[in-house]
Amino acid sequence: MSAIDRTAHLNPWRHRSLTEKAVLALGMLLLAMIFPPFPTGALIAGIMASVTLLGARVPVRTWIACVLAPAGFLFLGALTLLVQFDGDRLSWAAGGGAAAAALIVRSLAGLFCLLFLALTTPASDLLAGLRRFGLPSEIAEVALLIYRMLFLFGDTAKTMDAAQAARLGHRGVRRRLHALGMLLASLLPRVMDRARRMEMGLAARAWDGEMRVLGRRPVLSMPALILILSLEAGTALLGVLAS
Amino acid sequence: MTLLEAKSLVYAYPGGVPALRGLDLRIQAGRRLAILGPNGSGKTTLLLHLNGTLRPSTGRIVLEGEDCGYSRSQLVAWRRRIGLVFQDAEDQLFAASVAEDVSFGPLNLGMQDDEVRQRVDETLVALGIQDLADRPTHMLSFGQKKRVALAGAVAMRPQILMLDEPTAGLDQKGSWQLLEVLTRLESLGTTLVFTTHDVDLAYSFAHDVALFKDGKVLVQGVVDTVLADAGLLARVELRSPFLMELGLKARALGLLADASPLPRNRDEVLNLFGPRAL
Repeated sequence: MSAIDRTAHLNPWRHRSLTEKAVLALGMLLLAMIFPPFPTGALIAGIMASVTLLGARVPVRTWIACVLAPAGFLFLGALTLLVQFDGDRLSWAAGGGAAAAALIVRSLAGLFCLLFLALTTPASDLLAGLRRFGLPSEIAEVALLIYRMLFLFGDTAKTMDAAQAARLGHRGVRRRLHALGMLLASLLPRVMDRARRMEMGLAARAWDGEMRVLGRRPVLSMPALILILSLEAGTALLGVLAS
Repeated sequence: MTLLEAKSLVYAYPGGVPALRGLDLRIQAGRRLAILGPNGSGKTTLLLHLNGTLRPSTGRIVLEGEDCGYSRSQLVAWRRRIGLVFQDAEDQLFAASVAEDVSFGPLNLGMQDDEVRQRVDETLVALGIQDLADRPTHMLSFGQKKRVALAGAVAMRPQILMLDEPTAGLDQKGSWQLLEVLTRLESLGTTLVFTTHDVDLAYSFAHDVALFKDGKVLVQGVVDTVLADAGLLARVELRSPFLMELGLKARALGLLADASPLPRNRDEVLNLFGPRAL
């Protein structure tokens, strides 16, 4: 979670326009869903992986760590396509290999599209974009505060956990469970207290109920957008020709 | 000139624990005021009264001769003039990036976007954190968070800036830089008020000091007078400032003339013992 957030904030494409990144990621995602996985899906997976790793220079380790969990689910799911169960026997399914491969490639292509967006764009930028797109500001504000609080409470919980461990509160499963329960129980009042104090903090800066801040919006680069759109048009053309 | 005055404030926390019991305080223009008292004595509660966050059950707060009101618009007008920096910076930072967070206050004052942008840039430069502008607020160090929180209040250009335990938790360099920034702000016309339990900080940085005990200000006056009164200090469970004791000792030993002022910082003390070897 915090590795994704860190990368999203620190990658060289952090300050590229959200439109460019969203058009690339969501456009490719759409194409991956419409066109057959071979060759389009494979091509899209390749493009998105290279754009993420070479273009936005997302560290390979972070990227792989993000891919592993969903890929694990995906491979397990694809396994079931390989076999069939007819009454009392398990046998290889006809065309199961091709179906599994198609599923895997298509899903990976989609995953890489979303990962590109998640790893190059901080959550707050995405929220700001959604807001411009018509998301009610109340929802955006709540989401933003939750995002802020996640880190605060993550840190608090981590510190409390370490403090418990330092007093040997984690020896044995029973004690560990008990310690976890106490941690969660004391986290709740802290959450409430924190929220109340933040309200005071905001009020001290003349808060009137609406959270306005002045963000820096990167300018949309037309050449980049045209490049992205032509890349997508090319991919679509390939898809049409192949099917 | 008295800018802000608290008159016989009484307040009890929910549950009935008394916090302020008839407190009087005056904030004078241009005089750095230290509110000095032990931990848990209610100093923060007092600050929250002075910017209208908490409302006293009896007593009133007078801002330049006028009673403060608690309606929405009156509160906004009040907080435009009186800024508050919380002890825990996390209580203040909520936006995704530093520049955004600092822009919050000025926007609430109804300033235009261009003005706000300029104000944010100026403030970040003044506090020496311009290179943090785009940093997410959760990726800052403790000291950086403190500065950003300060920037958030300073960007509103308050007449009075109140700071709750400003140097608590900061390292030596951090505290020293903070005091320097505050001095610069003061030269631009901001009156500084801060709470502290650190009698040495009060002695070296404040002009006036208010001794806070049991929900009341025991005495408010010039630092040299108030902090020289050992009996008074003992009542708030404090000892007199180390530098002051050294100065008095130096006077007794004839190292410091009776007429010359007591040393206020470490260099002034060291100079008593002759020029420093280089």
